[in-house]
Amino acid sequence: MRDLARATLLALAASGGAGTARATPENFVIDPVHTHVHWEIKHFGTSTSRGRFDAVSGSLTLDREARSGSASISIATGSISTGFAPFDGVLRGRYLLATTEYPTAYFVAQRFEFQGDALASVTGVLTLRDASQSLTLRALRFACRIDTEPVAHEVCGGDFETEFARSAFGITHSLPFVSDRVRVLIQIEAARP
Amino acid sequence: MTMTKTLLACLLTAGAFAAHAETATYAIDPSHTFVTFEANHMGTSTLRGRFDKKEGSVTLDKTGKSGKAEITIDATSVDTGVAALDTHLKSKDFFNATEFGTAKFSADKFNFSGDKVSEVVGTLTLLGKTQPVTLKASNFNCYINPMLKREVCGGDFETTIARTQFGMSYGLNYGLPDNIRLLIQIEAVKQ
Repeated sequence: MRDLARATLLALAASGGAGTARATPENFVIDPVHTHVHWEIKHFGTSTSRGRFDAVSGSLTLDREARSGSASISIATGSISTGFAPFDGVLRGRYLLATTEYPTAYFVAQRFEFQGDALASVTGVLTLRDASQSLTLRALRFACRIDTEPVAHEVCGGDFETEFARSAFGITHSLPFVSDRVRVLIQIEAARP
Repeated sequence: MTMTKTLLACLLTAGAFAAHAETATYAIDPSHTFVTFEANHMGTSTLRGRFDKKEGSVTLDKTGKSGKAEITIDATSVDTGVAALDTHLKSKDFFNATEFGTAKFSADKFNFSGDKVSEVVGTLTLLGKTQPVTLKASNFNCYINPMLKREVCGGDFETTIARTQFGMSYGLNYGLPDNIRLLIQIEAVKQ
């Protein structure tokens, strides 16, 4: 909780306060069935290892008139899943994600950039292990629709992509055999009740 | 003495020739071999899933520039991270995993660009139907793994299949796509 508060403050600082016009900010809650964080990392310069985090939660606000938004997302680091249990154990270990010490990673964003009506990018702060770094997610296919089940409600979502150097978060194990660069592919759908 | 040398040289040459033409067998490393699929969801976000259980082997003749691959994928091991979705994917609507427990990829044509594999041409058998599939290779590479102290070959492969070709048509009328992108990571250890 303290970490989340700190991450929020950092994100606010990064966005320069972002006290922009708020016409009609709407609140959305993340749909865990259609929200996943996948990552890709190069193994020995050969194949791409993939994994994901299964427990992702959070909320976002969107003000389509003022073209602004905010997001607060928590990722349970222990929910990492590669499909190969011994590998998951290594990733949770203290040389990599150290999930016992750092059970949660946070992404807190206060800057949503639009191109016309389309969301183009989201900039915030990623807190992973004990480090916080500014991170921009490129938005792809962001769109809203009305779902009719169980009752009519609006769902907004899309794909987001980014990459970062894991060494910036102190994760240096297996360098350089396993690449420093991590590509992150995020699927998000969020519903407005 | 000279004759012995000549004989030795002949043997060495023959040996070298045999080594060049030799086809090596590689066993798939399950920790670095995965099939991930991507399906766009309602025109918005991309749903990803993978198959956790698979086995197979690859033979490769780097000099002769040929190869063969046989990979079996356990359809019951589909894993999206959402249990309810996995159950639905295993049902008759999608993979019908009770009746068709495995999917199989067989390839007997490896195309090369220089000394790297660029394409693997074969067939995919899914839901009992066999269709031609070509995997595009990127980053194909062989290296000596310092832990295993053996040669490992592998890379990234991808293709897009139309699932209706295999008789899987559920959800087309709700906006679920026919085209599914397959991202395949393979590393195999020389035996």
